[in-house]
Amino acid sequence: MPVSSAVRIENVVKRFGSVQAVKGISLEIPERSLCGFLGPNGAGKSTTIRMIMSIIAPDSGRVEVMGATALAMKDRIGYLPEERGVYRKMKVGEFVGYMARLKGVHPAGLSRRIDDWLERLALPGVAKRRCEELSKGQQQKIQLLASIIHAPDLLILDEPFSGLDPINGRLVTELIRAEQARGATIIFSTHQMHTAEALCDKVVLINKGEKVLDATMRELRAKHDDRGLVCEPRESPRAFADAAVARGLAVRARPHENGTVDLDLADGTDAGDAMEAALALAPMRSVALRRMNLDDVFVELVGAADGTTAKGARIDA
Amino acid sequence: MPDRPQQSYLGKIWLVAWREFRHTALTKGFIFGAVAMPVVMFAVIAVLPNLLSKQQPPLRGAIAVVDPTGTVVPRAKAILERRPTVAELAGELASNPPETTAERVDAMSQLSSASDQVVEVEWRLETAPDAVASIKSSLAKGELIAGASIDPGALDPAKTAEGVEIFIPSSLSPKHIGQISRALRKAVEQERIARSGVDPGLLTRLADTPEPKTTRISPKGAEAKENTELRFVVPAAFMFLLWICVFTSANYLLTTTIEEKSNKVMEVLLAAASPMQLLAGKILGYSMVSLVILVMYGGLGVAGLSAAAMMDLVDPMHLVYLVIFFAMAYFMVASMMAAVGSAVSDLREAQSLVAPVTFVLIVPLMLWMVIIENPNGLFATIVSFVPPITPFVMILRLTATTEQIPAWQTVLSIAWGFACAVGMLWVASRIFRVGVLMQGKPPTPRELLRWALVR
Repeated sequence: MPVSSAVRIENVVKRFGSVQAVKGISLEIPERSLCGFLGPNGAGKSTTIRMIMSIIAPDSGRVEVMGATALAMKDRIGYLPEERGVYRKMKVGEFVGYMARLKGVHPAGLSRRIDDWLERLALPGVAKRRCEELSKGQQQKIQLLASIIHAPDLLILDEPFSGLDPINGRLVTELIRAEQARGATIIFSTHQMHTAEALCDKVVLINKGEKVLDATMRELRAKHDDRGLVCEPRESPRAFADAAVARGLAVRARPHENGTVDLDLADGTDAGDAMEAALALAPMRSVALRRMNLDDVFVELVGAADGTTAKGARIDA
Repeated sequence: MPDRPQQSYLGKIWLVAWREFRHTALTKGFIFGAVAMPVVMFAVIAVLPNLLSKQQPPLRGAIAVVDPTGTVVPRAKAILERRPTVAELAGELASNPPETTAERVDAMSQLSSASDQVVEVEWRLETAPDAVASIKSSLAKGELIAGASIDPGALDPAKTAEGVEIFIPSSLSPKHIGQISRALRKAVEQERIARSGVDPGLLTRLADTPEPKTTRISPKGAEAKENTELRFVVPAAFMFLLWICVFTSANYLLTTTIEEKSNKVMEVLLAAASPMQLLAGKILGYSMVSLVILVMYGGLGVAGLSAAAMMDLVDPMHLVYLVIFFAMAYFMVASMMAAVGSAVSDLREAQSLVAPVTFVLIVPLMLWMVIIENPNGLFATIVSFVPPITPFVMILRLTATTEQIPAWQTVLSIAWGFACAVGMLWVASRIFRVGVLMQGKPPTPRELLRWALVR
């Protein structure tokens, strides 16, 4: 039977002392997919990733990576841990070469390959410099390179964007896309919802050690797209918001500082009818159907679990 | 998915080992510290005495002596200008050994600089016994470098030689005082011998009491010239060599493991190799570092001994034992250091865990004399079987030439020692596996034990 899941986890549990970090998570990540692990700090993302990597063993449950365990598949996996580390005194080229050799890359042509990659990562000519001479962001790119130099089939990146400026963030985004195009399965964890939204095929949201969402972006869009309006009335947004709720046009209305009002439509309301009704209600600058926003989904799911309102919850990136 | 080449199990161990070796032994710091330093020290020891003797300050100035008979001054002048040979000085030291530290230092510097010194002394002979006062005032004014008064009674062979006094200014160096005082003493001695009519050659022969020649008879009846001082030095050299090699590299092992943990490289490594591969690679890598040090220092020692034609002090079997006990000591100490290194997050935390181990390992350093004196004594026999110090004690006992060690003890200690080393490696691997992923508070010894024994 062909293996169609790159990673399969069944009901894994992990506790550290009295804290249950992961409470029975099950999930499946199809081959060649690009999956985002989302969740607030301390939700259990890194613990789950480390269990997938067999760096720590689950207390119970099963973890399967490419039909075996990560231990057996080490050379086919690329891993960027959450805590960055390089050998400070080692030269960049040597460090990447060492990691590549450990992962089974043949030494012939290796230094050429490293040089090409460094160029691609906008770090030309650093191969002969010591790791400690590089900036933190540069070191992070070197570490990312060390995790993909052997062209892995499965790439697991724990917070690959943290600490990167927008230019390098974009570079890494491109790199992840290219790796997927090459045929790799990619799992990455992040706090940055817009990045996840732009990149992922699938998102898994973990909160307090439990999986609270596991869906493809397509499913999410089908569920959350067009379920609201973004209106910009020409007069008082607050008055418009109150009127929209009073007339039954929306179940909730949120006026914003910039003069727009978010309307959440009641289930079963036709979006086209709602747009017309909004236009009829007050003079408008613009009315638009609201696209799904992962940020809102996140806040809604995590906020609900925390017992706070969606409005009040704020996630630090 | 395409079939890709994978790194073999042993391949990974070798890669880790080579990286550790390369980044420890092939660095400027190591090459300077472990290779260049001993060579430099050797050179300094060989060259320093020459440098010192070249720097002897000249003895210049006037010495006034109240010598009513006028016989002592010419003799003292001759003695000071002739300057004694090393052999003469050594003979003199042997018959009249220095008692205080200052005297010993002075004797050493005289021995090392018997020649090459400039002596330009103007002797002023005063025959009037009351000239002492004027000599003292001249000394105070700095016109003389020394003054002396010889009581004619001191020259009478029938009496004891008393009544020789030396006056010196505050600035005269101890070395010069020693030279002047020696010249006057010898002059008085010569004058007394001359007056007694005894042949000075006869006196020297009579006073010459040689050291007994010591010859060691082996159980097979072979005779060997005994070299008592070196007999003590050789076992100690073997033991210290073992100690330095093992500790230098085990210390590197400890610090690099801690560094990998605090640098957070550990998790990257663990994604590429298993803890067992990492540990095995590290231990292998530092065993090579250790071997380099062993060959360096051991080779230097052997070279030194052959240069001095004293290779007969080292039985070739001793070198075989050295290698066996080196391996044992290295695996014992390295496994302890690896376990500690994996369990802590910084060097300070490591110190408190390493301290008890170091304390035990210092025992052979402190008690080597006792062990060499009596290699088959109860104490030496018992500590031969106490794991971390077994190899150090055994190498001392085996290289000490006083007594033969029962063969069964040698065999048993090797078997027992290696069994313990394997046990320690096993415990270390259990601790390492858990420890490398631990962050934060360092574990207590009890927790370490739990890591080692619980699944």
